[in-house]
Amino acid sequence: MASSSLTLISTSTLISQGAEAKVYKAHLTAAPSEPLVLLKHRFHKGYRHPTLDASLTRTRVAGEARALLKCLRSGVNVPGVRMVDAAEGVLGIDWIDGNSVRKLLPGGAGEEDEATSSEDEEPDPVDLLHEYDISVGVLGQLIGQEIAKMHLADVIHGDLTTSNMMLRHPASFKSRHSTLRTELVLIDFGLSYHSSLVEDKAVDLYVLERAFSSTHPDSEPLFASVLKAYELRMGKEWAAIGRRLDDVRLRGRKRSMVG
Amino acid sequence: MPGRTIPLKNPDRPYLALGLEGSANKFGAGVIKHLEDGSTSVLSNIRHTYITPPGEGFQPRDTALHHREWALKIINDCLAEAKVSMHDLDCICYTKGPGMGAPLQSVALVARTLSLLFNKPLVGVNHCVGHIEMGREITGAQNPVVLYVSGGNTQVIAYSRQCYRIFGETLDIAIGNCLDRFARVINLSNDPAPGYNIEQEAKKGKRLISLPYATKGMDVSFSGILTSVEAYTFDKRFRADGKPRNPNDEDIITPADLCFSLQETIYAMLVEITERAMAHIGSKEVLIVGGVGSNERLQEMMGIMAQERGGKVFATDERFCIDNGIMIAQAGLLSFRMGFETPLSKSTCTQRFRTDEVHVAWRA
Amino acid sequence: MESYQLPQFPAHLSCVHAALYTDVSDADLLRKRLITASTAEGVDGERERDALNFSFIEARLVWLFSITSVNHMRTAVYQALLAASQDSLRTKTVHSEIIWALNPTNNISEAMRRYGVSDTTTALIAVRIAGPEVLATSVEGDMDAVIKGTKASFSALPALTDWAAVKKYHKLGNEAAVRDAKNDLEREHAVVDSIVTSSVAMKSVMA
Repeated sequence: MASSSLTLISTSTLISQGAEAKVYKAHLTAAPSEPLVLLKHRFHKGYRHPTLDASLTRTRVAGEARALLKCLRSGVNVPGVRMVDAAEGVLGIDWIDGNSVRKLLPGGAGEEDEATSSEDEEPDPVDLLHEYDISVGVLGQLIGQEIAKMHLADVIHGDLTTSNMMLRHPASFKSRHSTLRTELVLIDFGLSYHSSLVEDKAVDLYVLERAFSSTHPDSEPLFASVLKAYELRMGKEWAAIGRRLDDVRLRGRKRSMVG
Repeated sequence: MPGRTIPLKNPDRPYLALGLEGSANKFGAGVIKHLEDGSTSVLSNIRHTYITPPGEGFQPRDTALHHREWALKIINDCLAEAKVSMHDLDCICYTKGPGMGAPLQSVALVARTLSLLFNKPLVGVNHCVGHIEMGREITGAQNPVVLYVSGGNTQVIAYSRQCYRIFGETLDIAIGNCLDRFARVINLSNDPAPGYNIEQEAKKGKRLISLPYATKGMDVSFSGILTSVEAYTFDKRFRADGKPRNPNDEDIITPADLCFSLQETIYAMLVEITERAMAHIGSKEVLIVGGVGSNERLQEMMGIMAQERGGKVFATDERFCIDNGIMIAQAGLLSFRMGFETPLSKSTCTQRFRTDEVHVAWRA
Repeated sequence: MESYQLPQFPAHLSCVHAALYTDVSDADLLRKRLITASTAEGVDGERERDALNFSFIEARLVWLFSITSVNHMRTAVYQALLAASQDSLRTKTVHSEIIWALNPTNNISEAMRRYGVSDTTTALIAVRIAGPEVLATSVEGDMDAVIKGTKASFSALPALTDWAAVKKYHKLGNEAAVRDAKNDLEREHAVVDSIVTSSVAMKSVMA
């Protein structure tokens, strides 16, 4: 008999497929008021020994869920967890109605890594920013703040790119108290881990800097505003991370290699 | 690459190159021929391996000595088999790096001497690029993600804009180094290669022992795994002879189990980061090169992964996988045909030479 | 009462019926019946157990409230169904599993004390897991027969919740997220609800 999670997936809509996981849009129950969730299925890998495969899948689903909870508790905007089926490798999280930051910035409208569903017409980034009623500068601040909150909680994202950040659509944003009608949400904690090391935080930032420069032309001022907001929020922790970031920039991810 | 013409033109006459390799414990020489129609033929490819007793690794000084002892004989055999003389060659290609200093130097010296004696241009070659180019030539893979796995290297590489970009690599020791060192721990023979003997031993293993699994993005790390698998040899369940002490001695760990578990774990890590790179650049081809690439279990696992993605795995046999002279000749001749030469004054070698430092002029 | 289907689960676990009661007056009796039913033998015991085959999630003790939202409840139900369908229940029944899922620790009696029915309960949620052959009207009839109280809409939940207790159970008092929202009650509740719901969803992997 098929597992409930696989049955659920078979009736859900495939959104994208990466190397490790397929992502679906689904409802956990058939209740009329049931909110949407995003299901991330770490499917079985035939090349791995079944015991190793099962334990890895379990560890990773658990790790991702724990990172999300840690972020939630620390006030980082991330999707809440709605379902965990570690045995089957399925994680269900709150569906975020909005757009990835990648699509909101010039140069990011192109191909996402392994998207299977080609959206009809890519909207123009300028129009989108207008729709979200947000300037590029404020966007940079939001990004810097969220990453700082995450790092203060000693969570390292491991894959910070503009594809892994979303702006909540103003129409779905409920808070009455904020002057902004949107919120920046960090997503995809599949490669995240726990660390308090300055090195790991600096590399996390460096990866994002590289993602900005490789995806979005002329984004240096934007990344500068990200760092500025990050610095402000990190307080006294910034000095060491900033210094290390300079080091990492110099050496890159490069290490020299002996034959 | 679509839309771009390949800069390398077919030669107007046949070109011949001698390749000399000695970056680790193998000395190899090979003669390659590039023909007018763009095809390539391997005229000879000979190698001699410096084998140390079980439990011992190869030291730079002794390895260099080995290369000096064997170089002339191997090169002579190689030319004889190819039925060419030194005067027929267009260039002499040698490994510039990366590798062990002393062995590299001894081979570079041979190359320089031959260059002066026969007035032939020298071409210094990056060892890793040699592996990649030979792998592409032999398998016909067009634009694969390359997994380069050997005693000194562990890299996931993809071609982009005249450069072999490193997507992922080991953060500490190379996979082959991890295997070699574990072979020493359990006293496996170094003949023909420690990795080969681990593979044979692993076939007898049944029990999957839990070892750390260390991938970080597209990078991997092996030193913690090596420490952990070594620690199992001090476990009270470990039976060095692989046999239960009595009929009731069931909960045991044998050397074969450890070899099996080590292979299953580290190869799964390699396949995983390779797949991640494939997904990242949208490639469906994977090429395995380097000595560890001759491991059949690694090839099998990579094959399953490629199949699940609707792709294909390319691998070569030990003649081209394991360090050899012909790959140096191949990569060297490609760059020679693009006008590259290494002047005598710069014909040094270097222990550190990253794959992504090479200008891949011959590709679009 | 809300009834909903989960077609992905085996038939006998595929329907959930849940109702929120306020002004419950006979919680002490209810609790005694639960204890009797669980120990009674023979036909009578069977009948009692059938009648009480609900999971009582306490929405409100006299001074304690515990469920933060419909999603919170549905999430606990979901994880209990998942455990039941995978033969990995930590408690005796899928119904008691719901209560276990709600509490952050692995201590079953603590979960019962915090989220199960107690003598002083005045508001509670009754949940029944059933197959499609069981009609919603009959479940509702059964529930009404056992519980003396006023049925209320789930939208009344946030007002019934003892947020202080919830924060204490989940050790949220010192968390940055809750501190950040301390001047905005609505936001604080949303934050707490999200954390608590997520904790329930991932309890199986927290150990």
